[in-house]
Amino acid sequence: MLALSHRFGFYYPEHTIKFILPIGLSFHTFQSLSYVIEVYKGNQKAEKHFGIYSLYVMFYPQLVTGPIERPQNLLVQLRQEKHFEYANFAAGLRLILFGLFTKMVIADNIAIYADQIYGDPMAYNSISVLKGLFFYSFQIYCDFFGYSTIAVGCAKVMGYNLMDNFKNPYLSKSIGEFWQRWHISLSTWFRDYVYFSLGGNRVKIHRWMINIMIIFVLSGLWHGANWTFVIWGFAHGFFYIVETMIIRMLKLRRSANETIAKIVDAFNVVKTFIIVSFIWILFRASDMHQVKLILKAIVRNIHVKDDFHVEPKTWLFLLLFIILDSFLFNTRFDSWANAKPVVVRWSLYSLLLFLIIVFSSVNNFPFIYFQF
Amino acid sequence: MEKYKTLIYKFLLLAGIIFCFNFIYTKFFFEKDLQKHSPIINSIRKVTDEKNEIIYLGESSNTTFREDDVDKRSISDMISDYYPSRKFGNINKEASHAGIYYTFLEAIPENSNVKTVIVTLNLRSFDASWIYSDLETALQKSLVLIKDHPPLFNRLMLSFKGYDIKSDAEREVQFKKSWTESKLTFEHPFPYDNVTDWDFAMAEKGILNEDGSKNSEATVLACHYIKTYAFQIDTIQNPRIKDFDNIVALAKKRNWNLVFNLMAENIDKAESLVGNELVSFIKQNRDLLVSRYSKKGVTIVDNLTLIGNDEFVDQNWTTEHYSEFGRRLIAKNVSDSLKKFYPKDYKDYVSANKKISSFYNDCEGEIVWGQMQTLTDEIAYSGKMSSKTGQKQDYSISLDYSIRNLPDSLKSISISFQKFQREINNDAKIVIQISGSRFKYQWNGFIVNDIAKSLNKWEEVKLNFPLPDDFYNASVIKIYVFNPTNLLMYVDDMKVDFEK
Repeated sequence: MLALSHRFGFYYPEHTIKFILPIGLSFHTFQSLSYVIEVYKGNQKAEKHFGIYSLYVMFYPQLVTGPIERPQNLLVQLRQEKHFEYANFAAGLRLILFGLFTKMVIADNIAIYADQIYGDPMAYNSISVLKGLFFYSFQIYCDFFGYSTIAVGCAKVMGYNLMDNFKNPYLSKSIGEFWQRWHISLSTWFRDYVYFSLGGNRVKIHRWMINIMIIFVLSGLWHGANWTFVIWGFAHGFFYIVETMIIRMLKLRRSANETIAKIVDAFNVVKTFIIVSFIWILFRASDMHQVKLILKAIVRNIHVKDDFHVEPKTWLFLLLFIILDSFLFNTRFDSWANAKPVVVRWSLYSLLLFLIIVFSSVNNFPFIYFQF
Repeated sequence: MEKYKTLIYKFLLLAGIIFCFNFIYTKFFFEKDLQKHSPIINSIRKVTDEKNEIIYLGESSNTTFREDDVDKRSISDMISDYYPSRKFGNINKEASHAGIYYTFLEAIPENSNVKTVIVTLNLRSFDASWIYSDLETALQKSLVLIKDHPPLFNRLMLSFKGYDIKSDAEREVQFKKSWTESKLTFEHPFPYDNVTDWDFAMAEKGILNEDGSKNSEATVLACHYIKTYAFQIDTIQNPRIKDFDNIVALAKKRNWNLVFNLMAENIDKAESLVGNELVSFIKQNRDLLVSRYSKKGVTIVDNLTLIGNDEFVDQNWTTEHYSEFGRRLIAKNVSDSLKKFYPKDYKDYVSANKKISSFYNDCEGEIVWGQMQTLTDEIAYSGKMSSKTGQKQDYSISLDYSIRNLPDSLKSISISFQKFQREINNDAKIVIQISGSRFKYQWNGFIVNDIAKSLNKWEEVKLNFPLPDDFYNASVIKIYVFNPTNLLMYVDDMKVDFEK
């Protein structure tokens, strides 16, 4: 853009150029692509009303960071006549409340600590650096999940149903399952429009592996033209293939003994979380040099003394979120809360509201996915 | 109908919950948040707690001093010297401007004892680069909790960033836009009509050395002067005008005497670097402000041209940071303007132009010299404190003084102090250090134990030192005890007399 603007004789500084780039470009580009592909395939009738089409592309609640909607879901709803419905209104507000809590109380409060560690990893003890990785895993989840929940809630208030973008990703038992639960609108987009077009899994095994690597590397590139993102995608693809191959080759089955099965599940959840957290280093680091520094700090700084102190309230909030997230396994906050007795429901709303007002971070942390 | 009833009940329930939240927050969390995010509240509370009658609102110009100042106190403290019978207070925050002062003043309870308010009027605060400064976000954030709303509402505003919050890049766009779009009207034909063009031309042409080469440092400074002072206050658009107007209205409402203290700018440098056009803008703006606020009944102390180039601490930037001499001049001016409110209380106990030649420090912490961190209450000759040297604390309290502030015709120095030591120390010295660009550096050390070496008791050390003939070519004299050993030596009641 900078080179292009210079070509046309506009010598704006770099930050101005960045400023005029359309917000959420990668999101509505994918949403537009999805429309074009579906119309081309004959799955969707072409929208002839420019206003409705524009609204589909730029639907404000999900404009900036998704979920990336499909025309079959959103375009159809935009043609429907909507009226105020109390149930939608209440459900939407519930989601907005929970989204704000997730973003402002959890993500923004732990962001301070993740930034501290990523800012100068060599100054911290190995354990502190690992804590920093742990915090970043929750920061990015709560930040992005928070936004998506607010977006879905805003749309719901107006009577529109958007797809869920997250379903308890850190409770996944494998990398494959993680991608069925994390940024669902993007992963299904790649699955439907790239992976299936390449033949999916109905090909020979080596070709299937290549297909998997292609979609994960593309997914990395979608986040930015940086080696860290490419390797991030590659790492996910690699672990996905390795896990699938191990399960296939060893013919692993879920144990018939429920207790053993639960222990194995718990182990797999922890294992997946650890793998994902380590791969997040590539996502968060500004370049490969920083990646190396973090790994070096984890290995070498065992005896380094540091003053990495986390406020007890931060642990408490994180614990509260983990408990809530576990309760919400395979469900959503609005429907889960709605099923509770009125006293429990209102006590929970009050608690979340109080935490949002009183314990939100006062520092300004824009949504992480705003940059993509 | 039933649905609306439910809605009303829920709304009432929510209102009740929020009311309870406000109570809980105020009772258990508010104070901690205040101390963390708006510590300026303590200065505001002090005004009420100490029943101050006269308060001074300032920024860094009030408190910044030069290293060689003997009296490193703020302008407000120096003003208070003239009114010993009146209770003086100050509210000081770096980079503040009238908008910030207004919030501070609003936060002062109506039943306080305040009668007179002196507000710093900094000309640069009307300029785009200050109005859209990257410090503004932090300043505005620090005000949110002290605003006159229920505490819970203020915390909500803080959580949801309900204040003027912008990134540095956004602020930069704002002031650059203003530099380009605000047109300048010159009295005589001039090739540029906005700051951007003028600045660009200055950067291109540059300030030239004698040999014709470009003096980069001076050119950068000249450009900075243009960007800082080349503006004409628009009384409709400039937000500072609104802020000062608000202060005037608030003072009227509270029945306060209001004084605007217009700070001195480095006119000498503006003229020598850029020229008369720039000085003309500075004076034009001054005239506008003086006229506008005099008409509104405000007492204006005009210090604009009061201070010469040498008394500005920062020679490579535009600030209102003055040496002790400069601060004293301003304090004198302000104290004169207060006479009309307190005619019987004025006491000319410090003359701004009087040059003193006797210095004394009892090490109790009230008289600020260099190395104040060495003061300790472990042992003392008089009072409770002394200056501790040795064990990696090499220097005692130190008299650092600007020679041009001394009287003429001085011939010698008489130094005396009390010292306490437990072991003989042949390395600790009394040092007289004289330096300056037109003076050959002198470091004169005299072993303390050659003069007095009693152990385990306080003993007076006395020394006379003849001043060099070219003493007045030097700039700074420093007098201190230097003890680079592990043996402790305590110093108390240091006295330095320059003699004719």
